[in-house]
Amino acid sequence: MNATAESYTTEDGRTIGPVVMEMKNITLRFGGVEAIKDISFDIREGEIRAIIGPNGAGKSSMLNVISGFYVPQEGEVWYKGSRRPSMRPYQVAEQGIARTFQNIALFEGMSVLDNVMTGRLTHMNTGLFAQSFWKGKAEQEEIANREVAEKIIDFLEIQAIRKTPVSRLSYGLKKRVELARALAAEPSILLLDEPMAGMNVEEKEDMSRFILDVNDEFGTTIALIEHDMGVVMDLSDRVVVMDYGKKIGDGTPDDVRNNQDVIDAYLGVAHD
Amino acid sequence: MAKPLTRADGPQSVPALLQRNATQFANAPAYREKEYGIWQSWTWAETHDEVQALALGLMNLGVNEGDFVAVIGRNRPYLYWAMIAAEMVGAVPVPLYQDANAEEMAYVLGHCGARFVIVGDQEQVDKVIEVQEGLHQFEHLIYLDPRGLRKYDHTTLHQYSHVQDQGRAAYDEYIKELDRRIAKLDYDSTGVMLYTSGTTGKPKGVVLSNRNVIETAKSSSEFDGLRQTDDILAYLPMAWVGDFIFSVGQAMWTGFCTNCPESAETMHVDLREIGPTYYFAPPRVFETQLTNVMIRMEDASPFKKRLFDYFMAHARKVGPSILDGKPVGGWDRLKYQLGELCIYGPLKNTLGFSRVRVGYTAGEAIGPEIFDFYRSLGINLKQLYGQTEATVFITAQPDGEVRSDTVGVTCPGVELKIADNGEVFYRSPGVFVEYYKNAESTADTKDAEGWVATGDAGFIEEGSGHLRIIDRAKDVGQMADGSLFAPKYVENKLKFFPNILEVVVFGNGRDECTAFINIDLTAVGNWAERNNIGYASYQELARHPQVMDTIQSHVEEVNKSVAEDAMLSGCQVHRFVVLHKELDADDGELTRTRKVRRRIIEDKFHDIITALYDGSKSISTETEVTYEDGRKGSIKATLEVRDAKVVPVARKMAAE
Amino acid sequence: MPEQLAFTIEVFLNGLMAGVLYALVALGFVLIYKASGIFNYAQGVMALFAAMTLVGIQNGQVPFSHLINAILGTDVHHFGWHVHSAIAIVFTVAVMVLLAVCVQRFVFRHLVGQEPIILFMATIGLAYFLEGVADLMWGSEIKSLNVCATEGACLPQGLNMWIDETTYNAFGYGFFIDNLDIVASIVAIILVVGLVMFAQYTKQGRAMRAVADDHQAALSVGVSLNFIWILVWSLAGFVALVAGIMWGAKSGVQFSLSLIALKALPVLMLGGFTSIPGAIVGGLIIGVGEKLFEFLIGAPFLGGATENWFAYMLALLFLVFRPQGLFGEKIIERV
Repeated sequence: MNATAESYTTEDGRTIGPVVMEMKNITLRFGGVEAIKDISFDIREGEIRAIIGPNGAGKSSMLNVISGFYVPQEGEVWYKGSRRPSMRPYQVAEQGIARTFQNIALFEGMSVLDNVMTGRLTHMNTGLFAQSFWKGKAEQEEIANREVAEKIIDFLEIQAIRKTPVSRLSYGLKKRVELARALAAEPSILLLDEPMAGMNVEEKEDMSRFILDVNDEFGTTIALIEHDMGVVMDLSDRVVVMDYGKKIGDGTPDDVRNNQDVIDAYLGVAHD
Repeated sequence: MAKPLTRADGPQSVPALLQRNATQFANAPAYREKEYGIWQSWTWAETHDEVQALALGLMNLGVNEGDFVAVIGRNRPYLYWAMIAAEMVGAVPVPLYQDANAEEMAYVLGHCGARFVIVGDQEQVDKVIEVQEGLHQFEHLIYLDPRGLRKYDHTTLHQYSHVQDQGRAAYDEYIKELDRRIAKLDYDSTGVMLYTSGTTGKPKGVVLSNRNVIETAKSSSEFDGLRQTDDILAYLPMAWVGDFIFSVGQAMWTGFCTNCPESAETMHVDLREIGPTYYFAPPRVFETQLTNVMIRMEDASPFKKRLFDYFMAHARKVGPSILDGKPVGGWDRLKYQLGELCIYGPLKNTLGFSRVRVGYTAGEAIGPEIFDFYRSLGINLKQLYGQTEATVFITAQPDGEVRSDTVGVTCPGVELKIADNGEVFYRSPGVFVEYYKNAESTADTKDAEGWVATGDAGFIEEGSGHLRIIDRAKDVGQMADGSLFAPKYVENKLKFFPNILEVVVFGNGRDECTAFINIDLTAVGNWAERNNIGYASYQELARHPQVMDTIQSHVEEVNKSVAEDAMLSGCQVHRFVVLHKELDADDGELTRTRKVRRRIIEDKFHDIITALYDGSKSISTETEVTYEDGRKGSIKATLEVRDAKVVPVARKMAAE
Repeated sequence: MPEQLAFTIEVFLNGLMAGVLYALVALGFVLIYKASGIFNYAQGVMALFAAMTLVGIQNGQVPFSHLINAILGTDVHHFGWHVHSAIAIVFTVAVMVLLAVCVQRFVFRHLVGQEPIILFMATIGLAYFLEGVADLMWGSEIKSLNVCATEGACLPQGLNMWIDETTYNAFGYGFFIDNLDIVASIVAIILVVGLVMFAQYTKQGRAMRAVADDHQAALSVGVSLNFIWILVWSLAGFVALVAGIMWGAKSGVQFSLSLIALKALPVLMLGGFTSIPGAIVGGLIIGVGEKLFEFLIGAPFLGGATENWFAYMLALLFLVFRPQGLFGEKIIERV
């Protein structure tokens, strides 16, 4: 593996930056159950990093640790070169880490545009009083935010449903709107929790294309969780494999594919 | 502003028209496009600058006079400009269907030998790159939307805006040469080359001169009194002659504004926002919109529904007469006004037709109910009859003489004659120059005196002088007993039922007629939902007994009406099946403009046709299908063959 | 114009004015319920508490004077000054915000994720606690509240006279509308418009709507739930203050004021628990409905006093036929 502070270039000509986030010896317990056992790995700038593993391997817990929804009992999270203190999810979001949820958490009562605009909340600066007294500036900010939202709507090809209430959309489209909302925050790290779960083949292909395009077009660092190996291997630069809360593999998709532990985990070799 | 435009020594090419508009209508809007949720717009002066910059950029890339420049993508101002810029530099623009598959694209690009291709986005770039191996003349590819293309090898790949920038930078170097090339263009130089989708065989490149384009645009604009202040929504394929004439020819001639929707899916919203004054749509679009209105009214509150039914009944009674300016009683007029306030106005607004002054439909026959529905609302919907080879216009319906069963009178400058076998021939200033690199076909279609065969059979109605089209000339055949077989005539009657999407009638050389039917998934699906009938797929819904019963009643109704016409009474449908799959252009069963490809269907489903004629009650079959992503698969099904009641007719020899 | 019709119209207008007040109280409920799922039983007591605090500050009362006197053996009751009501209102708002912070910090923060019934019980506790504190702080005697008259009129005194005269000249019958009711309506309209603008166009408003819609999603876009909950409790406190001022100005500040919370219940049944326009329309319907019913049917046929139960009967009917209220979100979930 390359030194953590250096950039390198992948085979297909993409530049992967230095490490932006590092998980050090994370352990997470729920009561007596250890969901994550002493796991360490890093995420580099501009890469697509996947966390895979069978159901119940602790992938979602890991994502929740990164996004601040869970606080690990042991271990450290390093972000942009400094140790991150214990944080609430909204503080993590303010730091530029956006996420989606496996079971989709959208504002069902709002339109698609409103959802995407809500994703801009962390970029809205003008406070309550400025907004009531200093209309010009607030308006400018609103226009600038709307522009970003519209670019993302255009990018994800959801113009036709811009004004549609989210509750009326299909599952696949909701997933896309959720991605749009996360992107609207212009995050430095985008966390995707099973972005392809419950989709048909065609929707999966669409979603893969969008993920690649987002990474390519905006240079967004993406960390995603999937249990479907096939999709992930085509998509990601590096993969962490988890099984029963432990890390059993870490490396390029090819490395991981040839890793005996990984093969065992996926073929269901009995654990002793 | 819109003073009458006189021709005498007027502009003789599309670029010349653009220059005229840039001076005459400098600050009037020429193009609009919705992007990022907002309508962006360009005046004629700005348009001229943009086109000129692109033309200079194209020269900078080495486009020579006589080169072919292919243009592929959805309707966007930039791509219209690309066509005009191509003509400016003396090249020939060739718009292609954007949903053409790689194979079709390879053929056309190879046939015209395009050196340059200008496309919309990554999807098209990928397709062109996929086929470029086999294209010997192909050199440069220019794309509009850079998304996803950054990593591509840019040695022969260029971004549209960069080409323009380079053009602007090289202004001094090339402007003299550009002006010289523009000045050289005249009525005889080629304005555009359009490939016909072709119901049979390979597509043919129809060469249209500036004379064809401008003369047709001029006379048709005068025919309908189009104005500089009109608005049109450009959403039909750019490769289709109609779009070229409306969005380029007529737009350039009258100087009206061409509006491009944000994407195909937002077309209806955009339509409502723009509210075009001049509108064209194939019957299918009107049909879909009507179906949607009806579905929504089914779900409306009883009060609303009753109000709607009441006023629509009134509109049907007096609406068309009011539109045609015929005398209507004062009370009826008042009631119509009230209806306009409560129902017609809001409905037209929802549909985006509030401002439509001239609306056209063509391409296929339109159902009388559908046609009358729109006219009764006060929308001036008319029919025209045209062809790529005629630069669209052959006949059209003048205001006040509109009926659903004719295609109108000859357009200004057009002559018509009907051959002995019923085939319609025409001669006009719009008649195409030739089929590119296909002298044989040119000679087959156009005779020495300039008469062109339409391939359609029809007759001119006595009294009114309106043309009526029965069917494709080659499809009008004979039944075994010698009586006339006009499948399209019957198919259209069946397709007028909202439940039926597509029909193919067989019977040439046989004793009786039979049919394949596709149900309309939207209409039938909605009906199923309301009646709590569960279905998982098109196939399952299509074979539901109640659906079959409904379709059978439709067939029997049509049989009755067909029987009324002595000449065509032999065309009643005796037996039919509801197909297990929707006929699809991706499977080659329909053309890209959704016309039925009879021979391919006959070949592909021969087993079902056999079953239709051997008296069996059902047929098991397996069919290959192509999914949207290009993969192939197959579906198996057992279809029920139904007998339909026919009206007995005294058998007699045809015609006499 | 026939006398009976004119009377009816007057009753209608008076009902409308009463409805405004119901609507305001209901609005406080809706704000908190939407954002946190808490049905705040203490909303009425908050109105009482706000009104008492306002009067106390206005009159320069020493808070907790009984307690202080009892412990220290002193005899202080008043600072001996009078505070201008505008300043007193600012102070009261500050107290309500402080209350919101405390409620969130000491009660609901510890109850995140609990069953709704537990949250509801907590608000009952809160109601009694607040009532006790109010008593202890400001004493239990009935006080009169006058925001306008002391500093001259908020509205030109002649306005209701003017309405009376103009309508008399126009219809031959003069409508009498209480000045206070006119002020109340205007204030209520401003308040509602302000709230809607706040929710639609400000960052905090957008965050508030986000929280109301989905907590998890709101967290992920960087909204602090804690902050928003304090915000809505403050807003509810502010609305309570407005309601308290109006009611108090009309019938004096006394402990029965907390019972207007019960009047807001049928309004919520009508308007739905989650809809701001619902709360307003519901309030108006109940206000007009009970006054008209009393006037047209109650008094002549049922022996009067129907105002006591009319609202609840109407709410009952709604519960049976349209449980989600007029504007509430559909309860039936799509599968």
